[in-house]
Amino acid sequence: MSPVIAGATQARQAPAGGGGFPRLLPPPTHLPNPSSPGADLRAYLGLHGPVPYRDSAGALIGEVRAAGLTGRGGAAFPVHRKLEAVAAARPGRAIVVGNAAEGEPASHKDEALLFLAPHLILDGLQLAAEAVGAGRAVLYVRGDLRARTRLDDYLPERDAYGLDRLPVEIVWSPHRFLAGEESALASRVSGGPAVPQFTPPRVFERGVDGRPTLVQNVETLAHLALIARYGPGWFRALGTPDEPGSMLCTLRQASGSVDVAEAAIGTPLATLLDLSAAGAVLVGGYHGAWLPAAQAAGLTLSNAQLRPIGAFTGAGVLAALPTDRCGLIESARVARYLALESAGQCGPCLNGLPSIAAAMAELADNRPHPRVLDDLGRWAGLVEGRGACHHPDGTVRFLRSALRVFGPEIRLHQQGRCSAATARPFLPVPAGPSTEADWS
Amino acid sequence: MSGITSTTALWYASRATGVVSLILLSAVMIIGMLVNRQGRLPGLPRFAVLGLHRNLSLLAVAFVAVHVLTAVTDSFVSISLAAIVIPFISSYEPLWLGLGAVSLDLMAAVIVTSLLRRHIGRRVWRAVHWLAYASWPVAVVHSIYSSHDMQSGPLLYLGLVCIAAVLGALGWRLIRARTGLPRADRVPQLMADRGLLARAGDR
Repeated sequence: MSPVIAGATQARQAPAGGGGFPRLLPPPTHLPNPSSPGADLRAYLGLHGPVPYRDSAGALIGEVRAAGLTGRGGAAFPVHRKLEAVAAARPGRAIVVGNAAEGEPASHKDEALLFLAPHLILDGLQLAAEAVGAGRAVLYVRGDLRARTRLDDYLPERDAYGLDRLPVEIVWSPHRFLAGEESALASRVSGGPAVPQFTPPRVFERGVDGRPTLVQNVETLAHLALIARYGPGWFRALGTPDEPGSMLCTLRQASGSVDVAEAAIGTPLATLLDLSAAGAVLVGGYHGAWLPAAQAAGLTLSNAQLRPIGAFTGAGVLAALPTDRCGLIESARVARYLALESAGQCGPCLNGLPSIAAAMAELADNRPHPRVLDDLGRWAGLVEGRGACHHPDGTVRFLRSALRVFGPEIRLHQQGRCSAATARPFLPVPAGPSTEADWS
Repeated sequence: MSGITSTTALWYASRATGVVSLILLSAVMIIGMLVNRQGRLPGLPRFAVLGLHRNLSLLAVAFVAVHVLTAVTDSFVSISLAAIVIPFISSYEPLWLGLGAVSLDLMAAVIVTSLLRRHIGRRVWRAVHWLAYASWPVAVVHSIYSSHDMQSGPLLYLGLVCIAAVLGALGWRLIRARTGLPRADRVPQLMADRGLLARAGDR
């Protein structure tokens, strides 16, 4: 289920103690074993040892800064800056939330991590809480994962070993694209609907119940738990100097197979994806960008390379679109999904995204109206930077890349043709429209 | 009434830009209510209405600025700089010019908070934006009573048309607020309008 991939220079190797590679996921040999060290607490403690508490607030923050850890939920924001901001609150007042909402339909890495290495996440949650002097620790998990993870069992098990200094509350999140957005999370954990709130205030100032709130993706917390054990130098042994460490990726191959893999940042995309049967690659998920397969073949998994061309690593979603599918049809389906995932709060998003989705649907159809391309360009400009959250911006980024990369396909459609050999959908898009009840 | 000469040009300019400002501000009010209730204008995509609201506001600011500055610079009547923003201190028509100053101050608050919207937060912006409903009627009263232009003839009718239009929009806005869709149903509704989703009843 979960291959592990290091950089080109990093050969696959068996783990040497707890600090080997893969770092987060159990090594492949352990996978079929139900008592893999990730999920089995005794095996986990044997591999990594007890939670390395620092016994003082703030002590870990300098190490996280030295490690250069960034958020793995998609935004790649420096973790130490958030820690510092929340640590400024009165001791015991702040709240720490581990974010496993994973609303992105194409991503499965948080789900995989919850399943394979829950104790790294829970250790990271405790250590982050200690670092900022938090009085409350929450794990925010997509509700439909409840049946598939044993989270309800792990917490009493950890208590039996006396591992957790703060009791961990679990809050289940709706399976919505924006449910993991920081302010939507803060609203949900406070008892409201999981819809983005208008900022300011930012959640690190006033989040859950109006308290300073540290929100970190669960993969970020797992890295933090390892940095606390093996140190910043160890963390930087993988990755690039500017983007150290490894990250989890969800790899959707052109063949249709889906894997969660851990890869060193800077790994060539061609190592992660088989590009021989791919026409285009989606990088960074549904708020990310399409790249032509030939261009992707020359790039590595790093924001340093991806940002200048309008893409980013995001939460590590990589999808190789097979050559027998039409990128416009795929993009139109995703655009429709993203429009339906709007919370309907801000005018540009509420009105703009349905218009954009309709124009994309026309473009994906036979002989689109010649005006559609102009309309799309104009409307994209009108919604950008206008929402309370990044939803319109991310949608426009995705759409603009589709227009760029699938230009030849657009010309085919204008002539009444399409390159697709099959109409079978490739990218996963949840079915069914939304209702008010879906937000909580 | 004397003709336009070099000494009266500024006075005429001030009155003319005042009239245009009233028309523009009325349009900004009406389109603002449209934006608030997701209304449409024929030939415009729904969200371009917001752009129109903003651009007309900026145009109105320019006309109000010229209106005020020409009134001060003009030597026909003496209006001090301070009287632009401090109500009821003008020696000429203190009450009616004072209302102009009140309207201008409220307008400035609305515009400044809109420009700083990203930094001040939605709640503050929204609260201050409500002041537009105070600023516009005060501006109307100022328009009608500061000079005699609008008290008779075609300009009186123009003023009445502006008032009727804004009141009409207000009525529409209030009805729409009562009958509007709940937030979560708006996007599906718009998607259904565009043929991207089956109607609620068809699901």
